[in-house]
Amino acid sequence: MVHSIMCCCGSGLGSSMLVRMNVEKALKKLGASGISVSHSSLSDAAEGAADLFVVGKDLANFVKELPRVIILDNIMDKAELETKLKAEIEKE
Amino acid sequence: MKEIYNMLKKENIQIISKVKDWREAIHVAVQPLVNGGYCEARYIDEIIKNTEKLGPYYVLCENLALVHGSTDQGVLKRQIAITLLEEPIKFKEDGYNVRVMVTLAATDSDSHMEILQAMSQLFSEQDSVQNILNARTENEIYDLFIHATEDK
Repeated sequence: MVHSIMCCCGSGLGSSMLVRMNVEKALKKLGASGISVSHSSLSDAAEGAADLFVVGKDLANFVKELPRVIILDNIMDKAELETKLKAEIEKE
Repeated sequence: MKEIYNMLKKENIQIISKVKDWREAIHVAVQPLVNGGYCEARYIDEIIKNTEKLGPYYVLCENLALVHGSTDQGVLKRQIAITLLEEPIKFKEDGYNVRVMVTLAATDSDSHMEILQAMSQLFSEQDSVQNILNARTENEIYDLFIHATEDK
């Protein structure tokens, strides 16, 4: 089960916050409740810090070691996020 | 009072004809915040160093860069600056063409949420993106951003 999602970017201030806002909207739309969403810098992205991580494709190389990651081709694209998020949440 | 009135000042909006490369783009985009005392001059160099290490992590989509570093890289007060480039610039060869640079000086990880929401809204609609790209004056850009926070 996914209980927590961490959105990450280089500084933990900009794109990670935008993605977080979109993740929260997407979860609501998908009717998924009880999942906490946070945003942070890449340096906080470590196994155990969250069940699922979301990053933009530019940073894909930096999160290779994490067990569950969504890589976004376009971090502003809400439809892409929704599709990928749905697939991850429905995995179990 | 809405946070955007604190974070966006007309004097930090500029229309620039062209820059020669992405490094100059960063310099130009951050300079108003240095001049206004919102960040130290080293904020420029830190963002350039971040870019050399991580790539242009702040380019969000076609036309838009949210230029920023970390809170501890020389930020003094929270503020944004907006630069509209008449000629687009690429931050990497196969990257997007960027014409709008929103420079963010953030003092913590949450308090600029309203402004990012406004930006996200502006850039998720093709018409409003086009309005910004077509803007001829700093005042027009200011009004578009203020308007985006009032829609909700």
